[in-house]
Amino acid sequence: MKTRFLKTTFLLGWLSVLPALLAAQDNTTSNPNFYNDFYAYLLASITAVVFVAVLWVLVHLLNIIVKTNELRIYQEQGMEAYLAERAAPKKPFWQRWYRSMTDAVPVAKEADILLAHDHDGIQELDNNLPPWWVAMFYITIAIGVVYFGYYHFSDYGMSSAEAYAQEMEYAEREREAFLARQANKVNESNVEPLTEATALAHGETIFQATCATCHGQLGEGNAGPNLTDNYWLHGGSIKDVFKTIKYGVPAKGMIAWKDQMSPSDMHKVASYIMTLQGTDPPNQKPPQGDIYEPNASGSIDSGKSNGVLGSVTK
Amino acid sequence: MSRIEQFSYDNSIVRKFAIASVIFGVIGMLVGLLLALQLVFPELNFGISYTTFGRIRPLHTNAVIFAFVGNGIFMGVYYSLQRLLKTPMYSKLLSNIHFWGWQAIILAAAITLPLGITSSHEYAELEWPIDIAIALIWVVFGINMFGTILKRRETHLYVAIWFYIATWITVTILHIFNNLELPVTLTKSYPVFAGVQDALVQWWYGHNAVAFFLTTPYLGLMYYFLPKAANRPVYSYRLSIIHFWALIFIYIWAGPHHLLYTSLPDWAQSLGMVFSLMLIAPSWGGMLNGLLTLRGAWDRVRNDPILKFMVVAVTAYGMSTFEGPMMSIKSFNAITHYTDWTIAHVHVGALGWNGMLTFGVLYWILPKIYNTQLFSKRLANAHFWMGTTGIILYAVPLYWAGVTQQLMWKQFTPEGFLQYTNFLETVTQIIPMYAIRAVGGLLFFAGLFVMMYNLWKTMRQGQFQASESAQAPARVKHVPHKGEYWHRWIERRSVQMSILALIAIAIGGLVEILPMMWVDSNVPKIATVQPYTPLELEGRDLYIREGCVGCHSQMIRPFRSETERYGDYSKSGEFIYDRPFLWGSKRTGPDLHRVGGKYPDAWHYNHMLAPAVVSNGSIMPAYPWMFTDDLNTSSLEKKIEVLQTLGTPYPSGFAQQAEADLRKQAQEIAKSLQENDISLENTYAELGKTIQPSDKLENKEIIALIAYLQRLGTDISKLKAPKAQN
Repeated sequence: MKTRFLKTTFLLGWLSVLPALLAAQDNTTSNPNFYNDFYAYLLASITAVVFVAVLWVLVHLLNIIVKTNELRIYQEQGMEAYLAERAAPKKPFWQRWYRSMTDAVPVAKEADILLAHDHDGIQELDNNLPPWWVAMFYITIAIGVVYFGYYHFSDYGMSSAEAYAQEMEYAEREREAFLARQANKVNESNVEPLTEATALAHGETIFQATCATCHGQLGEGNAGPNLTDNYWLHGGSIKDVFKTIKYGVPAKGMIAWKDQMSPSDMHKVASYIMTLQGTDPPNQKPPQGDIYEPNASGSIDSGKSNGVLGSVTK
Repeated sequence: MSRIEQFSYDNSIVRKFAIASVIFGVIGMLVGLLLALQLVFPELNFGISYTTFGRIRPLHTNAVIFAFVGNGIFMGVYYSLQRLLKTPMYSKLLSNIHFWGWQAIILAAAITLPLGITSSHEYAELEWPIDIAIALIWVVFGINMFGTILKRRETHLYVAIWFYIATWITVTILHIFNNLELPVTLTKSYPVFAGVQDALVQWWYGHNAVAFFLTTPYLGLMYYFLPKAANRPVYSYRLSIIHFWALIFIYIWAGPHHLLYTSLPDWAQSLGMVFSLMLIAPSWGGMLNGLLTLRGAWDRVRNDPILKFMVVAVTAYGMSTFEGPMMSIKSFNAITHYTDWTIAHVHVGALGWNGMLTFGVLYWILPKIYNTQLFSKRLANAHFWMGTTGIILYAVPLYWAGVTQQLMWKQFTPEGFLQYTNFLETVTQIIPMYAIRAVGGLLFFAGLFVMMYNLWKTMRQGQFQASESAQAPARVKHVPHKGEYWHRWIERRSVQMSILALIAIAIGGLVEILPMMWVDSNVPKIATVQPYTPLELEGRDLYIREGCVGCHSQMIRPFRSETERYGDYSKSGEFIYDRPFLWGSKRTGPDLHRVGGKYPDAWHYNHMLAPAVVSNGSIMPAYPWMFTDDLNTSSLEKKIEVLQTLGTPYPSGFAQQAEADLRKQAQEIAKSLQENDISLENTYAELGKTIQPSDKLENKEIIALIAYLQRLGTDISKLKAPKAQN
């Protein structure tokens, strides 16, 4: 009995979280941090369940106090006083509520509701539908009607496409606000190689995660060209490399990273790539493009203009 | 009182199905275990096409659903139906045709699926000749069941039989409509529905395969075997009635919850979601009637392993039928979908509800038909704890993995970029959880052998009663008495009950599917979307053959985290030539809908040859045979013609030029690969094979696959002006 009550409370606790989850649907779109807050939501619902459980324990304790008092009266004043005491107060609210929510005929009295059905020896009782179950059914139907009405027959509910547009707009505002606070304005005309070890290490991490698939883990080249020799298809200065990373060379399969990587990350990875020059790793891809002389100049078209020395292989 | 008649129950058919269920349980779960291990140790794909993940995943799901649970259903139905109706089965011959036919179908599935013969519809992968065989055998079962019902001695049909009837009717309809396809060859067909329509029909089927193959027949079994094992009356007759009708009516509507945030129109998604929510109560009606039937018998649960199995089964049923509706809430689905959460969810259902109930029923039936006691309660208890612990060890790490991965997918940096740009990072993060899951699966699997030993010993110590004599009075015309419950009327009329059940299950499907077929505005056309070229089409069929859809979705949801990672979200108009649709349901690897043009041809070539070399730490298997096998274009002409019949607008006479068109495109791709230093000689040397002069790069399967991958999701970008809104 008691464990069943616990179970019911627990499950009703979950059910109470349901509207919150439904409401959360709008939050997913309007609040991009919703999933970061997911653990908080989870914690809140667990707290709610614990709260209900504590309430139950308190009521249970109260019951025990009442019971011990009755026993004391029985021991001190005898049976009659005990019965009078028992008859006097009504059952505690929670117990009555639990009764009314489950509405089950006790096992001892079930002969009264045994139907005359006999299916290969299986009999059936005629217990009422559990009222809490009926309530749950009605609540879910009501939620369904309200939900469908809100999203499809009112002007308030957003379609998936509208919700997406709003999410993007919100994220863009957040991003701009963040960038306005950051001095994150490195671009291809002002970029200079970084030299601090931490920045280069970060650059290497990015390289391994995003570039190594095509350019090899040591920059030796694979589907993409070798980055360790001094031949370059699109210029070998830090400014050229930054530009190639940023805008890509879509025709040849090099992705434009500007929408997926921050300027500071592109800065770090470009600086890291510069450090690969002359490392001479094994399994190098043959040179492609024009030779680049570092001392020539830092201008973007330096590699191309240096055509005298350029020896195009393949 | 009418005269007492003598007759006998056929136990041999029950025994046959019981043994088949156990054997296929072992096979199905063994394949499952191999799959679980392949995710941790990709080498266990063995480099052989027949044992790669993509091909044996459907083998696992089909074996467990249709062979293990399927035979379990028939075992329980053939046992309980005879006794509940006080008659032997209608025809012993039909019983045996049903049994051997079903096993032959399973055998055919076990052969064709590893060969890559698949229609790619989840849980309906089998190709058209097997589909027809299934339909025939299912009809044999139906005739046998309804024949038995009609010649019954009992006046009223018990609730278990209502569930059996609903099962038979609904599975018939689902199976037929989801397998409407036009054959190309004996082993290949194209579905009559394409794109969004195909997706909707498939998940109307897929969801209700869970509902009417894994749920309703098992509820029927629960209603018979649980009160029998507990020796207690069913808790509430009225609850049985309400939850039965509510369940079968509402379940059918819930299919679209598999397609939330996809290109399916919003209204259909919302219907799927709200009806899934309404399903909690009808589902829990079954759980309550099961658990509350045990009132007054809980002391026996402690001692009786059979009841323990049943209690865990019913509890697992309650858990997964609460979890399912929660997962159907769109905001929650945004976190759980495409992740391992779904895998955990279905296994709580399959291992907990179907597995544990099957075990309970097996432990109950076999001693009965062998006229003996269970050989060892201790072993049954050991099996119980192995099973229960196995389920927990299986499910908990996967829930964890699911949430972890989805949160990583959705994590942005303050600068507005994805935190984990490389999908692989989110995979390597959860591999330890895959390992724990495999341990859980192993434990559950090992429990099966404990059961087999126990049942074997039970059978050895008993005496099999092939036919069990019984007696009952003949059926007399029932005179309704005053004050009886209104539902008793329909319980006396099997035909009317079947018709009512048919109406109940037809409504939801009709309301959701018909508008998708008839109302064009549900799938807005996109001018630049063109049919696949012959080479791309062949490549797509290879993608289907290899079961790529098992790990890669082709459906970008309208979330910032997905459009940033994969590109613009998928539109329904992009899929109108997709037969079948390949949206997928799980992302073990990244979404591929807009992979076209993202990488060079050479990248795809190297990646398919050695995924772990190109992407360090990748758990994708290699596909060496696609580099050595020539593309088989023998049915290309027929394929084009079939697609034309189905409405794909290839110009007339195109079928005859298709081969030439294919060769031309293949040469272009081969040329682009060769320009990037790729040569078949090197590939063969890498694979340790000797190249023949007849081996040409442009003839290999890999070329077709690359053509298809490079086409994916690119048509929409050919629109000249960006679309105004949406």
